Amino acid sequence: MDRILLEATDRSPKVDFDFAGGRFALEGEAYPEDAAAFFGPLLQGLKQHVQAQPAAAIRFDVALSYFNSSSAKALMNLFMVLEEAAAAGAAVAIGWHYQEGDDSLQEAGEDFSADFTHARFEMIETPA
Amino acid sequence: MLAQQYTAFHQAIRENGIILSFSGFVSEKVMFSLGEVLRARMQQEETDTGIAKRVFSIFVEQAQNVIRYSANRIAKEPTPPLSAGMIIVGIEEGRFFVVCGNEVLRRDVPVLQGRLDLLAGMNAEELKAHYRVKLKEPPEEGSLGGSIGLIEIVRRASAPVEFDFQDVGADLSFFCLKAYI
Repeated sequence: MDRILLEATDRSPKVDFDFAGGRFALEGEAYPEDAAAFFGPLLQGLKQHVQAQPAAAIRFDVALSYFNSSSAKALMNLFMVLEEAAAAGAAVAIGWHYQEGDDSLQEAGEDFSADFTHARFEMIETPA
Repeated sequence: MLAQQYTAFHQAIRENGIILSFSGFVSEKVMFSLGEVLRARMQQEETDTGIAKRVFSIFVEQAQNVIRYSANRIAKEPTPPLSAGMIIVGIEEGRFFVVCGNEVLRRDVPVLQGRLDLLAGMNAEELKAHYRVKLKEPPEEGSLGGSIGLIEIVRRASAPVEFDFQDVGADLSFFCLKAYI
């Protein structure tokens, strides 16, 4: 699949979905004007990738400094695909990056991590 | 006369600790710009980063609820949809608050009221669990994901949220929601 590379905007994160390399990243702020339109193609791409290459290892890094509730829902949808892929045998690791002292984002990461049993979910603190 | 008339308005806003107030048609772009001003203002005032993030987060969810659910909404291509409502951010006794108001259909009031009563009765752990369940569920009928927004507002608020409805004519009701941070 073709790599999805999107520059960050004022209200949407930088996206790098490198399917061939098995590396995926979201970075920045996420409260897009239309969350379904923004995240829909990303979710479709990830689903197709997992279907086409069920055994391929996946590294998924999330470094969001803010996301709204619509984006939280979209993240959960992406994470459910990752957990299913891991349950089916793929080596999946998620890196949740948050700034030191950012309790909201740390808590959000901990909440998401509770939904993973097969994929590895790493909390990665970056210095403030 | 003119200045006198609007001084009273201006004064009333100041006296109520209001730092940002908007009433009229709200679009996503208006929301974004107001949010930018709000963030800049909090940065200038050196507001604690954690508090500033929570204020901003509640502001966004509140404003997006107005945009999505105001009963007074005009969607006419090619202009972006416009939703009538009110967004106010202020400080009361050292605490930030965000109030939003918009008209809703009177027949939708019981569902909204029920949803808010349910959330208001939950403790932090219950809210967290409820939030996770809702994140995984497909959206409720007629909802654009806003039920999660309400949970987010209640979770991030530092005190129980206040809400109220006031009937406006036969079909509409003015809905107000206030959250303290």
